[in-house]
This record gives sequence, C-alpha cells and structure tokens, in this order.
Amino acid sequence: MGFLNAVRSFIVVFNYFCMAFTILLNIIYVIQLIVSLFRVHKNYDKAFSDDFLSYVDSENLLPISLIIPAYNEEEHIVQNVRSLLKINYPEFEIIVVNDGSTDKTGERVVRAFHMHKIETSIRYQIPTEQIEGVYFSKEYPNLLYVHKKNGGKSDALNAGINISRYPLFTCLDADSRLEKDALLRLSLEFLKDSRTVIAGGLVRIANGSRIVDGELKGFTMPKKLIERFQIVEYYRSFLMGRVFWSSTNSLLIVSGAFGLFRKQTVIDVGGYKRNTIGEDMEIVVRIHRYMHKQHKKYRVKFNEFSICWTQGPMSLGDIRSQRRRWQIGLMDTLISHAGMTFNPFYGFVGLFSVPYNWIFELFGALVETIGYFLIPFTLIMGELNMFFFVIYFLLSVALGIILSEGSLVIEQYTHRAAMNAKQSIAISVYALLENFGYRQIITLFRMEGIIKYRKLRRSWGKIKRKEFEQ
Amino acid sequence: MKMELISVIALLACLLFIGIEYILHYRLAELQDEHEARVENIRRRLAIHVEGVLFAPTESSRDAEIAALSDEINGDFEVYELALEAIRNYQGSDFHSDPEKMELLIARVNERVKPVEIYGKMLESDDVYHRSYACRRLADLEAAEYHDKIAEFVLDKNRELSYNAAMAMCRMGDVDRVADYLVSIQNDRLYSGRIVNEFFAKFTGSRQALAEKVFEACNPYMRCTVIKTVAEYKIAAFRDMYIQGATGNDFQMKIACVKALAAFGYPEDEQLLQIAAQDKSWVIRSSAIRGLSLLRTPTALHTVKRGLSDKEWWVRQTSAQAITKMNISAKDLEEILGGYDRFAADAMKAVLYRTVDTEG
Repeated sequence: MGFLNAVRSFIVVFNYFCMAFTILLNIIYVIQLIVSLFRVHKNYDKAFSDDFLSYVDSENLLPISLIIPAYNEEEHIVQNVRSLLKINYPEFEIIVVNDGSTDKTGERVVRAFHMHKIETSIRYQIPTEQIEGVYFSKEYPNLLYVHKKNGGKSDALNAGINISRYPLFTCLDADSRLEKDALLRLSLEFLKDSRTVIAGGLVRIANGSRIVDGELKGFTMPKKLIERFQIVEYYRSFLMGRVFWSSTNSLLIVSGAFGLFRKQTVIDVGGYKRNTIGEDMEIVVRIHRYMHKQHKKYRVKFNEFSICWTQGPMSLGDIRSQRRRWQIGLMDTLISHAGMTFNPFYGFVGLFSVPYNWIFELFGALVETIGYFLIPFTLIMGELNMFFFVIYFLLSVALGIILSEGSLVIEQYTHRAAMNAKQSIAISVYALLENFGYRQIITLFRMEGIIKYRKLRRSWGKIKRKEFEQ
Repeated sequence: MKMELISVIALLACLLFIGIEYILHYRLAELQDEHEARVENIRRRLAIHVEGVLFAPTESSRDAEIAALSDEINGDFEVYELALEAIRNYQGSDFHSDPEKMELLIARVNERVKPVEIYGKMLESDDVYHRSYACRRLADLEAAEYHDKIAEFVLDKNRELSYNAAMAMCRMGDVDRVADYLVSIQNDRLYSGRIVNEFFAKFTGSRQALAEKVFEACNPYMRCTVIKTVAEYKIAAFRDMYIQGATGNDFQMKIACVKALAAFGYPEDEQLLQIAAQDKSWVIRSSAIRGLSLLRTPTALHTVKRGLSDKEWWVRQTSAQAITKMNISAKDLEEILGGYDRFAADAMKAVLYRTVDTEG
C-alpha cells in the first residue's frame, strides 16, 4: 500500500513538474518571439539605408570559397553547381569535394564542366583523408573539383578548407539553392563588423516554391501535409530562435545548409570534428569555447535577409531519420562540451545558451514524451483535476499557436514572404493544426534519437528529396 | 477558485493574442500583395512612358513624354527610382549604345522631375534611416545646395546617419568633413579599417589633401591604416615618410610603409625592398617580394625565386604569383619545376595551372 502511495505521489509531482516545465519553456519562447520581432523590425528599417548592392564592386568585400561536400549526389550536383555559378558576388570559387562517392557524382561534374586533372600544392592545415585528385576547368576558372577517399562530411569539408584560397568559406548542401544576393548580404556581416567569425543565413523550405537561378519565381502550396508543417516549423526555428540567440551572441547552431565562416578561425580550432553527425553545431560551439579561452572578441551572427532554399523531406520515414539525426547531433555536441554548461567563464553562452539546449532542446523531448503518456493515465486514475487538465492542454496549444503564428508575422513583416496573402493565411492554419499530432510525432522522433544515441551516432542516412526545377 | 480564474484569464488572453496575430498577419500579407500589385502596375505604366521617352520622333515630343513621366512620378522617390531603372534597363534604344547620350537623357528627366527636391524633403524626415538614404542619393545627384545640411550630420551620434553623411561628403570631395569623420572613428578599430578603404576609394577630391588632413590629427593606428590604403594611389609626396617608416622600428608602420613603397615599383627602392625581403615578419617579406616583382631586375628576380622556398606558405605563394609577372626564362622555370625544392615546385605549379590555362 505504501509503495502504491509513493507511486501515486510521484505521478502527481511529475505532472506538476511537466506543467511547470511547459509553462517555463513557453515563457522563454515568448521572450524569444518578442526580442526577435524588435530585432527584425530594426534590421528591416536599417536595410532601407543599407544599399547593400553598392558593395558589389567594393574592394573591401572578402572573397569566398564555396565548399560543397558531395557523397553520392549524382542527381543534384551538376544542377547545383550551375546555379551557384550565377550568384551575385564579385569574387568566389566553388570547390566540389567528392567524398569517395560510389555513384557517378565525379564523372558527372568532370564531364559537365570539361575539367581536367591538375597538379597543385595543398596546404594541409587540417589533417584529412588522402586527396586523390584535383580537377580544374579552363572554361570555369573559379570551379575546382576534388576527389578524395571517403572520410565523411566533416572530412570532406576539412579537405575543402585545405584547398580553398579565400579568407571566408561557406559550406553548402548539394541539394540546396542560394538566393542570388544571399552571399553578398551575408558577407556584409564580416565587412561591417570585423569581429564576426560566423554568419548564418535563413533556410527556407523550398517544397512548393519555384526557384530558378537563385530567384523565387512563384509558390504553390505543397501537396503533402508534412511539407506544409515543415514550412511553419522552419519559420519558427529560424525567425524566432536564431534571431534571438544571435542577438545575444550565443547562437550555437548555424545550419549546415548555409553558413559563412572565417577560415582562419576554423583552422585555429582544428577544423570540423570527424565522426559526428552534428558537425555544423559542434564547430560553432567549439569556436565559442576557443574564442572565450583565447579572450578574443568575436561575433556569431545571423542574417534573416540572406536566404538559402532547401527541399524538406516528403515522407514521415525521412522526417524521422532527419529529426533523429538532429537530436543525436545535439546530444553529441552537448556531451562533448559539457564543461561549458552553467560555466560563467563562457558568459551568456555558458550560463544560458548551453543549459537551454540541455534542458529544453534535449531533455525537453524526454519530459514531453513522458507527459504525453503519464498525464492521460493520471487523468484516468482520477488523480488529476479534469478542469486543470483541459486548461493545461488548451494553454499549451494556444502558446504553441502564438509562437508559430508570431514567426509567420515576422516573416510577413520583412516584405520578403514567398506567398501571397491567401496562401500565407492558408499556411497559418497549419500553425494551428501542427499542435494536434505533428508536434507530438516529432517529439517522439527526437526521443528515439536520444534512446538510439549510442547505436546511431556514427551513421548518416540518406533522405529522399524533391528535385529543383531546371 | 483563484487558480482556476487565473488559468481561464490566461487562456482568454492567449486567444485574444492569437486573434491579434492573425489579423496582423492577414493585414501584413495584404499590404505585401497590395505593394507588389502597385509596383507591378507602376512598372507597366512606366514602361509606356519610358518607351515614349526613348523612341520619341522629335525633341519636342520627347519633352512632352518626359513631362508625362514626371506627372507619373509625382514626387514619389520609389516611382522615380523605378523609372530610372526602367530607362537604364530598356534594351534596344539608341541610348543604350551611347552611355553619354543616356546620361544626357537622364539629366533631362531629372531637370523635370527634380529628384533633388524629393530627397531634400526626405532629409527633413524624423526617420534616421530615411535621412541616411537621402544623404547618399543627394550625393549621387551632386546636390551642392544640400552640402551644408548633410555636413551637419557627419558627427551625429547615430552611427548610420554619420556614416552615410560622411560618405556623401566623400562623393562631394569635402576634405575637412571627411577627415573629421575619419578622426572621430579612429579608436573604433573594428570599423575604421574598412571605412578608410571605402572612403578613399569613393573620394572625389584630392586624396593627398585628405590623407594629410587626417595625419594632422590622427593616432598611429589610423596613420598606418591610411598609409596602407593610399599605397595603391602612389602619392609621391609621401615617399620620404614611407622610407622613414620602412627603416624604422615601429612594426605596424614598417608593414604599412613597405607595402606603400612596394606599390611604386621604383628601381631606387630596390635596396630597401631587398632588405625588407629578409625581414623576420612574413607580412613584410611578402609585401617586399610583391614590390620587387615590379622591378624585373636580375637581382629582384633572384630574391623572388628565393621566396619560393620561404618557410611561410603565403610568401611562397606570393613569390610564385610574382614570378609569372616577371621576365623569367623557360630554363629558369624548368629549374624550379623540376628542382629538388618541392615547396617551390608545388607553389609554382599551383599558380601556373590557374594563370597560364586561363590567361592564354
């Protein structure tokens, strides 16, 4: 009897814990939303007098190396390189690093751009797997193709860094597209503040959008529900979360699909970490750590006006694989840099950003999942007041809608929304609907990532994505 | 009971907030649609006027078309800018093959539309970003009548406004105001380097006078930055200062002055550059090698070739690039490529593949 009472008391206490946790998390989100709104408003006003296009011929603009790590990307690679060759930037080079693909990725690039093998000196500032060949083309002098032994995405990026010539580099996914002016806008972050070491851009879901040569040519609502939910999700994540964290210089993640880095800083920290699937987050956290240790002033920025389009997964299976991977990457990074948690030496990053990721992004999935099962169970057992249950449920749904809808308002405020008014309102319906099933499923996938951390932390997994229009 | 009441109030507040968000979202989306439709409509109407202006059979009919275009613009800066864009981008008229003719046409349009007045009004705006924008545009239009008004903003507390006003002064060639601005930001090391570069590039007056004015009041850091920046303009009046700096003990000054001297490529500086090419700092060695490459003398070539074996990668790369611009014989080149020094051969190959292949 005593044991049963103890279990009962535990369940009741846990229920209250879940409620407090949810409310606290949502309060943090609301603060993020408000700060982001002010920040975007300020940046939008500032953009008026910025005249960023006047920098196109500026000698001060730092040249950029665009590194595309490719592993079995024969479907997208040529099309992506062609699109990148048209970007609006005065001086850049494209380096395609074939990480020992087993398909025809290499052949396609070499044939499409008439490339031939050259002998060149490589400055191995970061150790990588052996580079087997470097290819060059007379017709495209700012394009290099590198063939190397398989070593994973991080190794391919490190090889690209070694071979690159320019002081800034960006890593791009083979299946993403940059908007024409995206690089120009992002590189201004380095020009205007020499402390900037990393700048991340806004990643938008391309499903439904027609993007031709880096320009948005129209939008039709994607057919699948899952794609529509992802559109809302990405706006929330980027326009709310990243804008907020960058405003406190404690952004821990810059999307692997589009981020611009100061090369020397990345070399100083030893390049991308191998054998991790969260290399994009890990490198950012390591740079925070390094810069604090070296007592150097630095900035990690986010620019909501430079846009990269990526095709979101189209099936539940692919979303599951993607979210599991993100969660494992997050966990791996947090464990690797556990010493930063609540460590005042790392300032706002150590005191707020890292703990936030531990508590809400990592363990949040655990608490939420337990809550999904335990709260209805407690209700059935009669241990929970029905009124409170209903209010709690409605409050958490309402707060979820406030956040998603809020980020859609921010997006609309920038006057760069992809959709027309009708489509925009239609997509906002999904800000409401995602609270009934989609968010819960995503939480379960994240939970699965935590459980399978040891088993899956080294494996990648391929996601099937839509093709971009030629 | 109290707790229940608070919960219900919180829920109602959330619902109210959601309602406001939806209304705001819809209104903003509508505004964007309206704006896009308006711009599209303006573009369409402008296209008709622009065609009229570009293809008018007589000058008097062109004047009439310009008058109609001016009525369409009606003092709206956005419409004015769209009109200019349409005129410049319209393909197929005589004006496009003759840039001078095009500028004359735009001057005629400006005479009628009076954009200076439009931006002048904007200069009175309460919005600091509008004022900043107006400063730049008035400078583009060479609106001397607004010089004093813009000059007032140069030392404004708002960084955005002061920068744009100083940039406008640059375009107007005002030495004193630009120098005042540069001295005012000399302690802001995060921005000053880039701004000095930009301002000297855009300055329409005497760069020498501007540099001298800055030197009068600036600190050593700003002095070095200005020297590095004006190096490319080869200002002969500063040569004595450069020689003094290049042989002095101030490390930063030495870097700046060697770079500045190297840009001249004068034979009388060879000895100084030869010494600098042996300096312990690789930045100085690299600058000196770049300068020696302009001399093309056998002794300079010898030093540049030795730079191929430098312990610092950047110096090797600079030397390899420099060699391609010097009169190197095929025999010497073969010697480097087939020599025992792999560093030198690799650096040379990397540069040759990219330069010889693409430049012929």
